[in-house]
Amino acid sequence: MLELRNISKSFPGVKALDGVSVTFSPGEIHALVGENGAGKSTLMKIVTGICRPDVGEVLYDGRRLDFQGYRDSLRAGIDIVHQEIQVVPESTVAESIMIDKLATFGRCGIIRWKKVYESALRFMQMVGLNVPPDTIVKGLSVAQKRLTQIARALSADARVILLDEPTASLTEHETGNLFRILRNLKDRGVTLVFVSHKFEEVFALCDRVTVLRDGRCVGTRSIGELKPAGLVRMMIGREVEQAHMGRLNVNRRKVVLSARGLTSKGRIRDNAFDLYEGEILGFYGLVGAGRTELARVVIGADRADRGEIAVRGRTARIRSIADSVYRYRIGYVTENRKEEGLFLRDTVRSNISVAVWPRLRNRVTRRINRGQEDEICRRTVAAMAVRTAGLNQIVENLSGGNQQKISVGKWLAADCDILIVDEPTVGVDVGAKDQIHHLIRDLAQKQRKAVILISSDMPEIIKMANRILVFREGRIVGEVDDVDNPVRGYKEISRAIGAFLQ
Amino acid sequence: MTNANETFPARAIDRRTVVSGRTVGLIAAALILFAGIGLVSDTFLSGYTMFVLSRQVAFFTIIALAQAVCLTVGGLNLSVGAIGSICTVVLGVSMGEAGLNGWAAVPIVLAAGGAAGFLNGFLIVKLRMDAFIVTLSTMFVYMGLRSGISGGQPYVVPASFGIVGQHGILGIPYVFLIMLPVLAFFSYLYGNTVFGRRMLATGGNADAARLSGISNDNMIMGANTLSGLLSGLAAVLWASELGSAAPETGDSWLIVSFAVAIIGGTSLTGGVVSPFGVLLGGIIYTLIRHGLIEMKANPYYMNVYIGILILLTIAIDRLREVYSRGKGRQ
Repeated sequence: MLELRNISKSFPGVKALDGVSVTFSPGEIHALVGENGAGKSTLMKIVTGICRPDVGEVLYDGRRLDFQGYRDSLRAGIDIVHQEIQVVPESTVAESIMIDKLATFGRCGIIRWKKVYESALRFMQMVGLNVPPDTIVKGLSVAQKRLTQIARALSADARVILLDEPTASLTEHETGNLFRILRNLKDRGVTLVFVSHKFEEVFALCDRVTVLRDGRCVGTRSIGELKPAGLVRMMIGREVEQAHMGRLNVNRRKVVLSARGLTSKGRIRDNAFDLYEGEILGFYGLVGAGRTELARVVIGADRADRGEIAVRGRTARIRSIADSVYRYRIGYVTENRKEEGLFLRDTVRSNISVAVWPRLRNRVTRRINRGQEDEICRRTVAAMAVRTAGLNQIVENLSGGNQQKISVGKWLAADCDILIVDEPTVGVDVGAKDQIHHLIRDLAQKQRKAVILISSDMPEIIKMANRILVFREGRIVGEVDDVDNPVRGYKEISRAIGAFLQ
Repeated sequence: MTNANETFPARAIDRRTVVSGRTVGLIAAALILFAGIGLVSDTFLSGYTMFVLSRQVAFFTIIALAQAVCLTVGGLNLSVGAIGSICTVVLGVSMGEAGLNGWAAVPIVLAAGGAAGFLNGFLIVKLRMDAFIVTLSTMFVYMGLRSGISGGQPYVVPASFGIVGQHGILGIPYVFLIMLPVLAFFSYLYGNTVFGRRMLATGGNADAARLSGISNDNMIMGANTLSGLLSGLAAVLWASELGSAAPETGDSWLIVSFAVAIIGGTSLTGGVVSPFGVLLGGIIYTLIRHGLIEMKANPYYMNVYIGILILLTIAIDRLREVYSRGKGRQ
């Protein structure tokens, strides 16, 4: 039994955890849920010795644990499977699984690989990883890599395994498979801590759930005694009726963007939707369900094999991202802010104005008008409430929330009136998250932009969107209209996704 | 939501950093070297030495720019010297064998340099190959072509062709005077034009650039073409100085191009370049070389010093970065 007593942890400026107490029992799958920034990651880091609590203690079978680092936690039988996959890409599956124990297979300094493969195979079978043990990890799918990590945890004889959003980037089928394996482990008496913000998974898989909010423990409930609406209430903390930002004033006569029969082989099948002026249209589904894939076709990053797109009532031929930005004024805010959204080592100015430059160019001298550029940047910084020392500030030194505001602001500056926002609040803290929600609402309501919000954070999408399209295996399988009641929103989304997880 | 004016004082942003800390460091280094050599040597401050050295600075700066434009888009160009040598051969053939009169051959040579650079860019983009592999291969191709065509023999060029390379006005070599507008052009390009800033964006983060509607392919091809043009220009000036089109031109350019570009603050990973900094790099490089000669250092060991200099420059930059990052975070 793993017991956390009265844990508090502060980082400069933030109280990440405040007096949290939880008990994880053997043979249970225990969900840990909460909005982004609620303290889930910090809690897991403390359990695995990656960071130490300021106050409080961790007890394992009644013994007080005092980990100096992750290695101590491994030795005690507690392991973690991170969301970002941490395996050596060029090594074999068997090597990755047995990496901590390779020395024990040595004779005179030479590793007996056959033995390594044999022992690895046992753990691979346990997690249903059906590839030869000498397969190179690089070629595995995301799901298979995650199974490799779980197998490694088992080989270390872990009795407690923490799983940080293990279904992220998994397809539906792979998720189902993973759940079967986790239930199997549970039956062997392993304690599984399952971090997720996908309600359907929590209800399908877990026995108990602990809710964190703003660094505090809201409570632990057995899944049987809890209804989805109750969980929403615990997470958001307000009455569920207030968990929606109010009805949007949508101009249903003005279709800004529409798609018919969009198909891109292996990614999306026969997708159709209309987007209205002043609307926030939610795209909900698992990773790989087709949301981002559809967005990429719309912005010209990927080709459609079939289907039509119309922008402001006219058939649009979007052959490149430049087309979507400059001809059709569609802006895409990527979910991978740091990797493909920002020029981290460049200034706030360049990051905001990058898509405006051609418009500010003098015909003869080819010069970009610096005065106009700064003016636009200043307006954008003010409109998005970015906290920065100035336009020359290097973006890398800004907080996640401010960086995200700049990624959105870039398209405002470029005068885009169709915005596709992909997972806008991943990696930002609670305060900034709320601010970003309000900014996106204002874009739709005050500036009459049309917004597509891609999110797998269900409370977020229910709170923000006035209409939600539910994606599954590349298809749009459901539409939830007029979402102004979170409970109904939750029910209808769940119905659209189907009971596939049970 | 907080009041916009509160979070963002309108005046604060108008203070633009005109001279970065790095530039100050470079200028200081150049001045110290200059004063140091001036104190030790009797001949250093003579008009003749200044003339020769400033001409060297101009050559090194142009060659380094040819490297810097490729580094800036996140690539590199191992064939800067090879393009220079093939351009020299083109110059020799069109002036000597084809009998073109004097400067009429120059546009042809520049076009050849641009074409060679474009080919590099085209191969990188269309075959989706690494700039290292492509330019390594084309380096051999271009060098092989120049040997094959020239047979290793220098071409004779008309005496009038030497004026630009060998003379000057008011003690300043023409070569240096030609370099100035080239530098100004590149400063303008990177500071003020869409093409220049997009090349910086591509080098800074290619994925983000693509999602911003920038064609990375065009930026890479453009940068490589510019690089080839600069190599061609350097070849013309070099031949003019020598008074003949020698095929071995360019054989020493590769290491110089990297050394000067790096000293001048060009980022090895792309996205950062300062043509003015490259000029300072050229000055420092020239002064160090000259200082070693004044100190009667064994010329056979010259490359040792240059190699150490490159390492030092990069190490200092790393340290600066680590230091400023530690400071930047609250």
